Formats: sequence, structure tokens, C-alpha cells
Amino acid sequence: MDMNQLHFPILTLITFLPLVGAVIVAFISEEHEDLIKYITFGFLALDFIVSLPLFFYFDPSTYQMQFVERVPWIQSLGFQYYVGVDGISLFLVLLTTFLTPLAQLSTWKAINKKVKLFNITILLMQTGMLGVFISLDMFLFYVFWELQLIPMYLMIGIWGGPNRVFATMKFFLYTFAGSVLMMVAIMALYFLHHKFTGVYTADMVKLMQSPLPYHLQLWLFLAFFIAFAIKVPMWPFHTWLPWAHVEAPTAGSVLLAGILLKMGTYGFLRFNLPMFPDMTHAFAILIIVLAIIGIFYGAFVAMVQPDIKKLVAYSSVSHLGYSMLGMFALTQSGVEGSIMQMINHGISTGALFLVVGIIYERRHTRLISEYGGLAYLVPVFATFFMIFTLSSIAVPGTNGFIGEFMVLLGAFLAKHIYGILVAFGGIFSATYMLTMYKRVFFNKVTNPKNLGLKDMNLREWLYLVPLVLFVFWIGIYPSTFLSRMRVSVEHLLKQVNRTTVVEKAKQEQALVKTVVVKKG
Amino acid sequence: MVYSLKDLVAIVPELILTFFAFAILLIDLWLPKRAKTVNGLLALFGVVFSFGSAAALYSTHMAAFNNMIIMDKASNFASLVMLLTAFIAIVMSFDFVIREDINLGEYYEVLLFSVVAMQILASTYNLIVMFIAVETLSIGMYILTGFLRNKDESVEGAMKYFILGSFASTFLVLGIGLFYGLFGSTDLNTISKALANASNFYKWIAIVAFLFVFVGFGFKIASFPFHSWTPDVYASAPTPMSAFMSVAPKVAAFLALIRFVAVGLGPIEANWTKVLWIVAVATMTFGNTVALWQKDLKRLLGYSSIAHAGYMLVGITAANALGYGAVLFYLFSYLFMNLGAFAVAEFISRKEDRGTEIENLKGFGYKYPLIGAAMLVFMFCLAGVPPTAGFVGKYYLFSAAVKSHLYWLAVLGVINSAISAYFYLNIVVVMYMRGEQDKAVSVFHSVPVKAVILVSAIFVLFIGIFPNSFLNAALHSIVF
Repeated sequence: MDMNQLHFPILTLITFLPLVGAVIVAFISEEHEDLIKYITFGFLALDFIVSLPLFFYFDPSTYQMQFVERVPWIQSLGFQYYVGVDGISLFLVLLTTFLTPLAQLSTWKAINKKVKLFNITILLMQTGMLGVFISLDMFLFYVFWELQLIPMYLMIGIWGGPNRVFATMKFFLYTFAGSVLMMVAIMALYFLHHKFTGVYTADMVKLMQSPLPYHLQLWLFLAFFIAFAIKVPMWPFHTWLPWAHVEAPTAGSVLLAGILLKMGTYGFLRFNLPMFPDMTHAFAILIIVLAIIGIFYGAFVAMVQPDIKKLVAYSSVSHLGYSMLGMFALTQSGVEGSIMQMINHGISTGALFLVVGIIYERRHTRLISEYGGLAYLVPVFATFFMIFTLSSIAVPGTNGFIGEFMVLLGAFLAKHIYGILVAFGGIFSATYMLTMYKRVFFNKVTNPKNLGLKDMNLREWLYLVPLVLFVFWIGIYPSTFLSRMRVSVEHLLKQVNRTTVVEKAKQEQALVKTVVVKKG
Repeated sequence: MVYSLKDLVAIVPELILTFFAFAILLIDLWLPKRAKTVNGLLALFGVVFSFGSAAALYSTHMAAFNNMIIMDKASNFASLVMLLTAFIAIVMSFDFVIREDINLGEYYEVLLFSVVAMQILASTYNLIVMFIAVETLSIGMYILTGFLRNKDESVEGAMKYFILGSFASTFLVLGIGLFYGLFGSTDLNTISKALANASNFYKWIAIVAFLFVFVGFGFKIASFPFHSWTPDVYASAPTPMSAFMSVAPKVAAFLALIRFVAVGLGPIEANWTKVLWIVAVATMTFGNTVALWQKDLKRLLGYSSIAHAGYMLVGITAANALGYGAVLFYLFSYLFMNLGAFAVAEFISRKEDRGTEIENLKGFGYKYPLIGAAMLVFMFCLAGVPPTAGFVGKYYLFSAAVKSHLYWLAVLGVINSAISAYFYLNIVVVMYMRGEQDKAVSVFHSVPVKAVILVSAIFVLFIGIFPNSFLNAALHSIVF
């Protein structure tokens, strides 16, 4: 029944291996900083290697959950330790195991106080993030969803910039307040499911199979919507994001942009769409409008940022607008594009934060005006930066293009006007990214402080090259990824279209046709 | 009135404690001053034996002394929680009483007697017995609050507590009198039967009587608007006793309240749930809002305990078995999180001044990594963040409300816990994010207190991750 082709609890291993690492690191003396770094990186790298079988043994021909594990947890209430992945969550799990070791590698020099605590935090965060993507029991999902707030809260608060306390409090309270309403919604869903089916369960797959009647979906949809919209963040719930990004240390920004924000978009795909199909259709227009506002708002605000990191942060708002747009276009290519966009955003924005971190490490400033002409001084670095800039702008041949194009296609198929409107968004993203690039890397070297800049070292090569690889892999041969999500997305759309509204509309159409035929 | 010897089985845990309390009284007379710690050890033994007997008799279901006293799973569950609390409080006291020069036998003896009263309160369906138990335990609490008799604020706290407490008790006894006048009995089962067939007029008077009785209980559990003593008393009482008071009497009072409303007032459920709805919301909101401005850790914990009483009232307002069970489960988890936090307050407090200002915790997380980490766990637990017992407990309380379709109550509850996250996390901010302190935090390196902190942290996490068996025990003890 439950599908686990490996007959081995691989997801548990992936999720809790970092936790084991955290416990081991906790027992190492604070003085052995290098040892701590190596061990942490070792565990994260090992975690990535262990997660590779997910990719190779994944069966793309089924929408069923795979690599499933199911253990009773809180029997008295019917909660289970129930984990698995499908075509939607597979790449988010892989993205997490891929990105975290790279992020950790970027901190070797940048984090120089409380190194031990930092590495424990990053390991715990890995466990929390992976748990969110693999949970198939709502209670379990919620536990991980909130659990990963704690390490991020500490990461921004302890190793962040001058306004770190404000930023981290805002981050925590905003997301916490959003998610507690989701908690009530989860409870309500649990009891309502019992009312209609007689079973107490928080099993997401079962809950998806029998959506609630139309009139009960509204409030639950809204509660989930708020939690996820804050996390994504969608305009106008985005205000915590620039603060968090600017204050967070590089690794924090990478994980925040690369993975934490994806929890919001993933939540929409996993909960809102299949569980509340009627409301999904009813709210699609509103969410698309918010997404389009986000795309333009993010782009416009990014244009005027004097700080490179803040610019990248606002570009996130814009990019995730695409993801939301594609998702709620509710077409095959739109949803696939949405998932691609999540992965791409993780790679390219994560990479941009890493390169910004590299330059910040050398000059301790992120103001665009402090730079200029860097391409002459640090050509290798400039090349890497260029690649990620192009990927962020979605130039054909890079990963960004695939995602945005599919989203555009999906949106265009849903309603022409969406596609036409959003196509302009691409122009703006080129404007702010290229302007920034020009001001930092071209022109003359005006600031003498930049003269002594060193180009990239081996460690920096090590964590940027894998990202470049994926920029082009996805950009040139996206089938590797798309083929694995196709069936799951098809199934998801089938679930979304099983609504009373759509069926009613179909019936009405049929009725009209018969009437017309009769009259004719 | 005929009592059989068998009736004594129902009060074995109480008898054991009483025996030890008297033993302390007597032995204390012969103990030289430097050997007074023996008293504490004796008290500890008493608690352990009483715990053992309550655990052994856990599944017993019997009524004794003409239905005045009953023993069931709920009373035993409550007993176990209270004895655990007493155990931890006594362990925390060992060094404290020596430091504050109050190493007297009476300290432990009064503590044990008040636990006996709490156990009685938790195991009766009779309002008169409840009243006697409430009074007895209150007297113990008044004395313990003022035990630092050389410190003005301790005495002041005790006086305040005493005056307000007596006032609340008069309402309690008035309410009981009304019930007796209406239905000719103080037994909750009898009242319930009579109430079911009573005329509307009688029902209205019963509601008034309920309000009066609730004043008494509301005072004990520190619910709004009978909460005003809490922060003062918690801040001024000896810290181990603040910790004890913030949990143990509430366990008894909550269980008694559950028995009172669920069994006695079943027929007018629609009325009292409305009252409790308002009280629960007001209590949560008040506690959390005022806590936002607190500068002292003990006072903050005082307001936070008001808020937590509000959360637990949500479970009672839900008026279903899940809710009642959730209250017991919550009390059990609350025991560890709150005692742990109070133990940290004790860890940083000094003899000269209180030393429990939150600012004193600056850099605490780096100076004492293990204790700091434990405090971090307690704070997240009190805020209700997984994977801690506090999260699981809140989840059950609010889901009981959702089960009874009290959606707004649940929503207000979770919004409250979001508000509370601010001040709990603020402590984490001070401990970890404001840099380190140059001057050392002068602390008493009391080994028992450290042990309490670490063990509590482990329990908080363990219950949070594997709540099943504890939850089952709590849910199954609700068989009224």
C-alpha cells in the first residue's frame, strides 16, 4: 500500500542525520573551531549524498507518495509519523540538502564568533526544513513548520547586523502569528473530516481525497492562505523580509531565500490547492492579482535600493510572485513552472546572496555606490556574479528562463492578459539587475579601497561551481526535472478541478448547450 | 454515619504525607541547627512514599466516608502531579533555606500539610469538603508566602494574599450556602440531579451561586478579575514556594473546578460555558498584555501564569472530555516548564537584592551554556512552540475548543500565544543577542537547582516529542 521502493527509512535518515551531527558537535569543545566546521560540513555533505537515491530511485510514473514511512505517533488522536515525497516535494528536499552545505561552506570565514553554536543552529535548521517538506501528517507538518523558526530566529538574532534584534523579532512574530491561525484551521479540518467520514486523522493524503463541502472551505482556506502568504511572502505580507535579509548573515539569507520561503509556496501546493479546490478557484483571481502586484512592486522597489543585498531581497518578492502566478493559473505548465521557479529561485537567489556575501566579507559594505569597476580587479568573481545575474533575469539558456517561461505560458493559457502583463515584469527585472551590475562591475575604479581586492579562493570556487552547474543544467536540459514532477502535477490539477463549482459550471454549460440545441 | 476501615484506602496518600508532616514537627525539636536539612530529606521521603502509594492505587475507583471523599484516576493523576511539584520545590529549597536563614522544620511541614489539603480538594464531589480543603491549603500558602519574615515585601505579599484570599473565600462559602439552600445538599451529584428538574427560577439562582463559587476557584487559579495577588505574591514569596504555588494549588483547583462544572452543573452547561468563555479570554489577554511590560523575571512569570490559567480555562469552556483531559495534561507539562523557569530565577537570584531583573540575564546563554539552553527551551515551551510540551498542551486545549465549535475562542487563544511569544522571546534576546556582560552574574551554584533546571528541560522536550502515553493517562482519567 505505502510505497517505499528502497525498503529503507531513507527520509528519516536524511532528516535526522543533521540532528545527530548537531549532538556530536555539541560535545566538541568550543576551541576546536576548524574541527567543528569540518564535521558540520561533513554531515551536511553526507546528508546530500544520502539524499541522492531519492533522485535516482524516484518513480516518475506515479503520483503516489514514495519512500513512505508510517509509524503511529500519538495514537490517542490518530497522529502519525508519516513521511514521503512526490513529484512536488522531491526537488525541494533535494534543494535543501544541496543548498545547506554550500551555505555552511560560505560561513567559514564570515562567522567568527560563537562558531560552535552557529554550526549547531545550521544543522538543526536542516532537520526542521527537511521535516516540513517530507511530512504527510498535518500535525507533524505543523511541528516542523514552527520548529524551523527557532534556528532561523537565533541565526538572525545572534549573528546578524546592527538591527538584528528588531529584524529577528519581526521575522519570528510575523510568521508565528500567521501560523497559529493555521493551527486552528488544522484542528478544524481534523474534526470536520471526522464529522464527514467518521475517522480521526491528520493524514494529508486522506484529507486531500475528500475535500469539505463548499461552505466550510472559506475560513480554512483563508487561515492557510495567511500562514503561507506571510511565508512566501506575498505582497502585502512581505514587510518582514527585507529586514530579515539585510540583517541576517549570508548563510541565513541563503537559507531564508533558498528554502524557507519555498515552504510558503509549497504549503499552497500541498494544502490550499488539493484540500480546498472550490476556494482555490474562487480566490485564484485575487491571488493572481496580488502576485502580479508583487512582481512589479518587488521590481520597482529593487530598482531604487542602494544596498545590493536589499536589492536581491526585493527581487525575491518579485520572483516568488511568478511562482504564485503560475500556481494559481491552475494549468499544467503554470504549476510545473511554479515549482521550477521555486527551485530556480533557490539556486539563483541563493547564489546571489552568496556572491554578495563574498564581497561583503572583503569590504564590509554592501552599498552599490562604494563599488565600481570591479570587473577589472576581480574578473573571476565578476564572471560568477554575471552568470547568477543572468540567471536571475531569466536569460534563455539559464535556469531562470525555463521557470519564468513556463509560468508565462501557463498564465497566458489561463487568461491572455496575465501573460501579457507579466511579460513586462521581465523587463524590469533586467533593468534593476543589470543597472546594479553595471554600477558595481563596470565603469572606472573610483574607490581606492577596492584596489586591493582579492579574487575568489578555492573554498569560494567550491561552493559556487555546483550552483553554476545547475544554472545551466536546468537551463539547457530541464527534462531531468520536469519529467519527475509531471504526473504529480497532473494529479494535483485533477484534484483541484474536482470542485463543485467547476462541475456545476460544466453542468450548466451542458444544460445551455442542450437548450440551444433544442431551440436550434 | 458508619465508616469502615476500608474507607482509609481512599486517603492513603494523604495519610502518608500527614504522618511525615507530624514526624517533621516532632523530630525538628531534637535537631541541632546544622542538621535541619534532615527535615527536608524527611519531607522528600514523605512525598516519595505518597507518590508511590498514589501510583500503586492509580486505577482504584472508590468512594469513601459517605461519598465525601472519592478516589479515581483523575484524583490520582492530580495527586501525582502535585507530589512531583512538591518534590521539585523541596529539592530547590535545600540551598535556598540555608542561604535565607529560614531552615526551619515548619517550612517543610506546612508545605506537606498544604499538599494534603490539595489532594483532598482534588478528590471530592462535595462542596463542603472542597471548601475546607481550599481553606486549609490557603493557610499553608499564606504562611509560606510570608516565610521570609525578615523581608518586608515577603510579609506584605503574604498579607495581601491573606486579605484577598479570605475575601474570596467568603464568596465561595456564600455560593455553597446558596446551593445548599436550593437543593438541600452540597453533594455535586445530588445538585446535578436536582438541577436537571429544577424550575427556571431555581436555575437562575444556581447560576448566581455558580458565580459566587467561581470567585473562590477563580482566586485560586488566578483568573481575571481575581488575579491581582499573583504577581506580588510570586515576586515576593521564597522562589521555590513561588514555583510550587504557581503549579500545585492550581492542579487541585482546576480539577475541583472541572468536577464542579462538569458533574454538578451539567444541566446548566450552556450558561456556565458562556461565563467561562468571557473569563478565559479576559484572563489570557490580561496576563499576556501586562506581561509585555515586565522587567522582573519573577513578576513576568506571575503574569504569564495568569495567562496560562486562561489557556486552561479554554479547555474547561470546551466542556468535553478532550478539554478536561487536555487541562490535566497541560498542568502536567506546565509543571516542568514553569518550575524550570522559576528554578532559573532562583539560579540568578541573590541574597542582597532580588537580582531577578531580566536585564541580569544579559549574556547568560554564553556564560552558562547548558542552563541557558534549558531556559531557552522553557521560554519556547511557555510560548507554545514545538517540539516542546507547551506546544502539545496548547494544541489539545485549543483543539478541544474547536471540537465544541468554539472557533473564536480558539482563535483568540492562539492570537494570545502569538502575543506571549514576544515577551518570552525577549528573554532569549537578552540571554543571547545583546552581547555579553562584563561583570559576572553572581549566582549561587546550587547543585539541586541546576539539576531541577536540566531535568525539567529534558522532560519538557520528551513530553513534547512523545506525548502519547502522558496524554492517554490524562484523557483516560476523565471518567466522571
